[in-house]
Amino acid sequence: MGKDIREDIAWAQINKDVLKSLESPRKAYWVILLVALLVFGVGVGCEVYQYNMGMGVANLDNPHVWGLYIASFIFWIGMSHSGTLLSAILHLMHADWRKPIYRFAEAMTTFSLLTAALFVAVHLGRVWQIYYALPYPNERWAWPNFQSPLLWDAMAVFTYLSSSMIFLYVGMIPDLAICRDNIHQGWRKKVYTILALGWEGTDRQWRNFRMTYLTVACFLIPLAVSVHSIVAGDFAMSQQPGWHVTSFPPYFVAGALYSGCAAIISLFVILRYVFRFEEYMTLPILKKIVRLTFAIAMVWTYLNCIEFASVWYSHDEAAKGVLIQKAIGPYAPFWWAMIFCGSVVPFAMMVKKWQTNIPIMFAVSLLLNLGMFLERWMIVSPTFSHGIYPWTFDHDQWPSMVQWGMVFGSFGWFTLLFLVFCKVFPSVSMYEVKEMVYHRSLQSKKEAAGEELAVKGAN
Amino acid sequence: MSVSNLLENWSKFRHTHPVEDKGHPDWEAYPSDIKWAMAIDLDACTGCNACSVACYAENNLPVVGKEKYSHGQAMHWMRIERYWDESESGFEVDQGARFLPMMCQQCEAAPCETVCPVGATNHTEDGLNSQIYNRCIGSRYCSANCPYKVRYFNWYDYPTTKDVWPSPMNEQLNPDLSVRSKGVMEKCTFCKQRTYVARNNAKTEGRPVQDGDVQTACQEACPAGAITFGNLYDPESKVAQKWQHQQVELTKEKQDKDKTEGNRLRGYRILEELRPYPSVMYLERVRESAV
Amino acid sequence: MKENDFNRRDFLKVLGWGGTAVALSGCGNTSIQDGQEIVTSYVTLPSYVIPSIANYFNSTCAQCDAGCNIMGRVREGRVLKAEGNPNSPINRGKMCGLGQSGVQAHYNPDRIRQPLLKGQAVTWEAALGAINDKLNGVKGEQVAFLTGGMSGHVQALFGNYMDALGSKNHFSYEAISPAVLRVANKKAYGMAMPRYRIDKARVVVSFGADFLGAWVSPVNFAQQYAQFRKGTRPEGRGVLVQVEPKMTLTGANADSWIGIRPGTEGMLALGVINALGSAGIKLPADIAAAVKDYTPERVGVNTGVPFERINKLATLLKERSPSLVLAGDAAEGYVNGSQNALAIAMLNHVLGNVGKTVEAAASVPFPQIAPTVGSRSSLNKLNDGLAAGKYKVVFSYGANPVFSAPAAMKFKDNFVKADFKVAFAQYLDETAQAADLVLPLDSAMEDWGTVVPEYMAAPEGSDADTYAQMSFRQPLMQKLYPDTRGVGDILLALLKQRKADEYKDFEDFYSYLHNAVLKNKVALGGKTTDDDDIFWDETLSKGIVPLKGVAGSVSAKMSAADLKLSPATGTDTNYPLRLIPAVSASMRDGRNANEPWLQESPDPLTTVVWDSWVEIHPKTAAKLGIAEGDIVEVASKSGSIKSQAYLFPGIHPDAVSVPVGYGHEGMGRYAKGVGANVFSILDPVFEQETGELALNETNVKISKTGQRVIIVKEEGPLGGSQDGRPKIAVQVQADKVDLSKEV
Ligand SMILES: Nc1nc2c(c(=O)[nH]1)N[C@H]1C(S)=C(S)[C@@H](COP(=O)(O)OP(=O)(O)OC[C@H]3O[C@@H](n4cnc5c(=O)[nH]c(N)nc54)[C@H](O)[C@@H]3O)O[C@H]1N2
Ligand SMILES: Nc1nc2c(c(=O)[nH]1)N[C@H]1C(S)=C(S)[C@@H](COP(=O)(O)OP(=O)(O)OC[C@H]3O[C@@H](n4cnc5c(=O)[nH]c(N)nc54)[C@H](O)[C@@H]3O)O[C@H]1N2
Ligand code: SF4
Ligand code: SF4
Ligand code: SF4
Ligand code: SF4
Ligand code: SF4
Repeated sequence: MGKDIREDIAWAQINKDVLKSLESPRKAYWVILLVALLVFGVGVGCEVYQYNMGMGVANLDNPHVWGLYIASFIFWIGMSHSGTLLSAILHLMHADWRKPIYRFAEAMTTFSLLTAALFVAVHLGRVWQIYYALPYPNERWAWPNFQSPLLWDAMAVFTYLSSSMIFLYVGMIPDLAICRDNIHQGWRKKVYTILALGWEGTDRQWRNFRMTYLTVACFLIPLAVSVHSIVAGDFAMSQQPGWHVTSFPPYFVAGALYSGCAAIISLFVILRYVFRFEEYMTLPILKKIVRLTFAIAMVWTYLNCIEFASVWYSHDEAAKGVLIQKAIGPYAPFWWAMIFCGSVVPFAMMVKKWQTNIPIMFAVSLLLNLGMFLERWMIVSPTFSHGIYPWTFDHDQWPSMVQWGMVFGSFGWFTLLFLVFCKVFPSVSMYEVKEMVYHRSLQSKKEAAGEELAVKGAN
Repeated sequence: MSVSNLLENWSKFRHTHPVEDKGHPDWEAYPSDIKWAMAIDLDACTGCNACSVACYAENNLPVVGKEKYSHGQAMHWMRIERYWDESESGFEVDQGARFLPMMCQQCEAAPCETVCPVGATNHTEDGLNSQIYNRCIGSRYCSANCPYKVRYFNWYDYPTTKDVWPSPMNEQLNPDLSVRSKGVMEKCTFCKQRTYVARNNAKTEGRPVQDGDVQTACQEACPAGAITFGNLYDPESKVAQKWQHQQVELTKEKQDKDKTEGNRLRGYRILEELRPYPSVMYLERVRESAV
Repeated sequence: MKENDFNRRDFLKVLGWGGTAVALSGCGNTSIQDGQEIVTSYVTLPSYVIPSIANYFNSTCAQCDAGCNIMGRVREGRVLKAEGNPNSPINRGKMCGLGQSGVQAHYNPDRIRQPLLKGQAVTWEAALGAINDKLNGVKGEQVAFLTGGMSGHVQALFGNYMDALGSKNHFSYEAISPAVLRVANKKAYGMAMPRYRIDKARVVVSFGADFLGAWVSPVNFAQQYAQFRKGTRPEGRGVLVQVEPKMTLTGANADSWIGIRPGTEGMLALGVINALGSAGIKLPADIAAAVKDYTPERVGVNTGVPFERINKLATLLKERSPSLVLAGDAAEGYVNGSQNALAIAMLNHVLGNVGKTVEAAASVPFPQIAPTVGSRSSLNKLNDGLAAGKYKVVFSYGANPVFSAPAAMKFKDNFVKADFKVAFAQYLDETAQAADLVLPLDSAMEDWGTVVPEYMAAPEGSDADTYAQMSFRQPLMQKLYPDTRGVGDILLALLKQRKADEYKDFEDFYSYLHNAVLKNKVALGGKTTDDDDIFWDETLSKGIVPLKGVAGSVSAKMSAADLKLSPATGTDTNYPLRLIPAVSASMRDGRNANEPWLQESPDPLTTVVWDSWVEIHPKTAAKLGIAEGDIVEVASKSGSIKSQAYLFPGIHPDAVSVPVGYGHEGMGRYAKGVGANVFSILDPVFEQETGELALNETNVKISKTGQRVIIVKEEGPLGGSQDGRPKIAVQVQADKVDLSKEV
């Protein structure tokens, strides 16, 4: 395997390369930004229409009350897990190949959560009363219902969002200082100055910084796991057949990591191209993510099999009915597509030559994400189409263009946030890449000299 | 301060076991000695739909029209389901159809209640599952979790939708209850406006509510008298007597009588095994095989 | 006529104006200043009116001819809901869905609000003047008056008007009515409409009488049925057998549904009599001779009912007495309909049911108010007359023949031949559209009247055999529109054109009715010493006037001589299927099609809403390659319609069925363009003895048009399957339960 980063990149070069991304991206950046804006516009248009007309225009019905909005909500929450995974877990595991790519992954976490939150809003029949779900003290004793998984959800997501924002921000402080020091005028300078919190890189600051970052990372990991477990609870706590499944929490977490990793691959490819990060987002790193993704794909596949088996051998006829319907009913094409994308396509990542083939991996990552989107939809809808109560089975329901429009628009919104972020903040962690380069150079010296050299002060 | 209220009165918000305690009175004038319940005799029910239309008339239900009906957006709180006998070769019609009037079963441990994020659907002290329209934010989780799928969401703003209540049709609307606006959930209330009138009258007269003081609109219309409604806690009430005779107990998820083969009773509750403790007992349809 | 100081009229003004003022003041629409409106304070309302508390006023349902007694729930001057009057022997506090929808006929946004002369709004003076002009110089025999069924004081007034015109051309038309049955019943029992005692029978065998759906007096029958099903009755739980080619709602409630080949119902009845003879029931000699050829085996072949089943039916009837055998629409709708009905009635005689479950009904003592029942044959006569140009001026009230007459009769073409056509109508329906002058009617909740039901139910009691009743219809609220009028008021105005002197004392129909009732105070149950006003108020508030009726009697015997059962008409190879127009409880003949609750209320059997459909047996459909939702063309010799196919095993494979009442071209927003009008394709085939249009004698062929729709219906994708769930709609065999001690 080639080197995951060149050990002879000068630190000043790193600063220069990364800071360049704040100044002059390729033209593609602006094109994508414009497209994202348009796509988001479609979503906004759909919401305005739905807000005025009523939820009926989404073509949901009684009892098929949930559809793509909830599916997208889970999808985006899932997406957010990649950031936590790469940053926090790999950080704790001292996997320093994560360093050039964790920043944008963390940003992804934050923005996916913001996107997911949108779906909570557009899903509500009376979004203008959304604050009823907040536990604010009021004189009418009107509290939200703490028994409702939806409330747990709201709280978990909110906590996760705030924590991941802190994590993202804390990890960025040394880099913000670099920005501050390298940009000489304009509003940005002021922003960086404020955000850098007077960072000077003293020993004490570094010590405190490491401690804080580690603490937040430790806090974030269980939080991430619990968030998607709680999202799983929205379903597992209900009595709908196909939802009422014990293995849902781990299944959701695995799915989340899976889609997150796949999204990292996609974004990796895009950023590498758009911001000319070839030096940092190297093919060996891609290979590592690809392997990780493959492993998670297998875990996900395993959990799927477990779920099918336990439903099949249970005495829950309704749940079994839903499973059978998934395979042969009106949703069968999508369900099989999900199996194909989620469990078959990843085998492409076994092919050594393809692991570093950017177009192929890009295509694979998109397919995996498609599969994971379908997974969420296949969790939400089929049970309404064939649930407990036969009279109300509903095989005709098909999301209207309004629903699709908002799903579509959410990608625009996410891309928009993400691109703006990359343009305003360093999307590659400069100080950590420097560490990485330093470690690599130590290592090659060591190899060259054949000497024992203790690596100290890492991390 | 409301936090302290919440902490002090937690038990008022949630019952320990939904079917064992009788709940808390709304306000002191009403002791909670009422548990509204129903019995529906499927052998008497002819499937005529009169109950359903009566419910439209009484409860301001919107007529949604063909287009919306085709999207599954009908609002009938009381729907008449029609099933056929089934055999290997398909549907059998030799013994006719089976009709089942289905509306909210007013579950004692209502699956819809626990999941509502804002507590817009609640248990009342007289044993009903209530729906607070102005509290509802339209998450539809309650519907997702209702095993009977009897909750109906206002997908549109029906009062302002063309041809739903064109003037002067709106003058028929019952002022005893609201007309729901878009984005809220609704469902059968056991004609709450009627039960409250009965309770107010009884209170004015200084007596407990008696059997026959109140009929639900569906019961009142039903030409075959298939629907019995009343206070299950009143041993004199018809509904209590029916439940008792059929040995169907509110607080059981498995009836003792069902443990004995050939018990020759026909009362049952639908999806009882999911433990929602529904307040509606059905009586099996009877068919003579000698013909 | 001097009215007392505070009567219902003033009261309604109070309520009406109170209500309207409150409703409108919010929109700034009141015109109190100009002094034209009487605004009455809530503070000074009569003591019994408490804002927010409803008052109930008794009246009579006008949605069908059963004449159920109802209470209108009135609040703040608006009628909100109709509920059954618990004191009624007809409906005992209950109502059907059609009846419930009466408020939607009243508040219907598509009501006509002004007289229309050639489509132009005119004043009543102009409208009535136009009638007067047109009638001048026209002889009595050149005037024809088409009505639906009628009774009570409106009918009395109507009779006077016809006399005043010197016309005998009253045609009483109902598109759907048991007209053949009445004639057969007269022969078999000696009376057209005896009381059927379903509640007393142990077995009911109904040959297509949809008594739980749309037949005769369904709410009354549904209650009897509920009694009949009670295991706690001394007779035990009753057993219902329904014989018909297309399942009706009653068929759907049967213990045994027998899908018979169309037109062979009478033959099956004779087969059962034959089998009863073999089983040891003693048959009169003439009857034995008449049925001797109808062995179960032969009948089985002809009717398609296995002979074992015929024998079983005979055994059941023999073992469980008394029973009741009914002949309904499915039996009478053929060329040999009378004979079918007679054969079926004969079963009652053979089984000894006459006098037990077929009881004599009393009739009202005043023939002027006794019901005139409609038939289809009368329309033929009118049509012939119109075709021959006999009538110059034609009135139509309570009938919509342009919609309901078969296209082959060319009724519309003939109708427009008359010089001047006047339609009394609530909606601009097809007949009103073809008329020269349309007179807008009050709704039944705004109008006065009395109703005498044709089917005379009686309360339990010793004087049941002389029980007859008259019911009041009274306004439940102030008129919605100032320019609509009650039918009685219009007739009175027309009468005044002819005989001003005789009617000058009557300001309006209300005063006519008031006067007529008070004049007959004693006959109506009052005493001569009773105060007029108190008597009037009490009578009105009860809504039901029990009358000492004329007891009838049912003939104990029936001679086989009347019975000459001709074979069912054969099929036509070009038109291989028999069309059964289905009459549903909500839609009936289509006059209430513009009430949206009825359109949205699913057909009980197919669960279809807002459209018509073609019911096809799955086997027949498979042969023709038709799947659910295919738009098929149903073509008869007389025309064709298109509608969606619904596959349904409750129909004989040789038959298809389309509901009547759909396919309006006018009427209003909820009716127009919904479904197809099956009346239009009926062949003009008539019952041989009565001349009634034989509704089930149309042969059709079905072909696919290539179009498809997803049927809009209540049932889910599984149809009527419970998907193996054990406890949803549970059915149990009668011997597995103990019903005798149930509470
Ligand atoms: N349609 C219509 N609207 C009107 C009017 C009208 O004539 N018609 N009139 C207008 C006029 S003039 C007025 S003054 C207003 C009146 O309007 P409101 O003040 O709303 O009148 P009420 O409905 O009489 O009383 C309000 C509530 O007070 C409760 N109440 C009674 N006694 C007590 C008590 O001792 N303590 C407490 N806390 N509550 C009590 C009653 O149960 C009732 O629920 O309405 C105005 N609006
Ligand atoms: N039972 C009972 N009694 C009550 C009350 C109650 O709640 N229940 N409420 C009490 C209260 S709070 C009030 S304010 C009083 C109200 O008592 P009132 O003032 O007697 O009641 P209103 O219904 O307002 O009727 C006033 C009259 O004024 C007329 N009017 C309306 N507009 C005009 C105008 O522009 N010019 C003139 N000249 N006349 C006009 C109306 O037609 C009506 O006849 O009732 C009191 N009495
Ligand atoms: S039937 Fe459904 S809506 Fe009614 S209480 Fe039970 S769970 Fe709730
Ligand atoms: S739809 Fe309304 S009642 Fe139902 S769960 Fe959501 S907020 Fe609660
Ligand atoms: S009890 Fe009342 S609300 Fe419930 S179905 Fe009957 S009529 Fe409707
Ligand atoms: S009104 Fe009565 S008989 Fe008719 S469908 Fe309803 S419950 Fe059944
Ligand atoms: S049967 Fe129904 S429609 Fe006919 S009079 Fe009675 S309530 Fe009215």
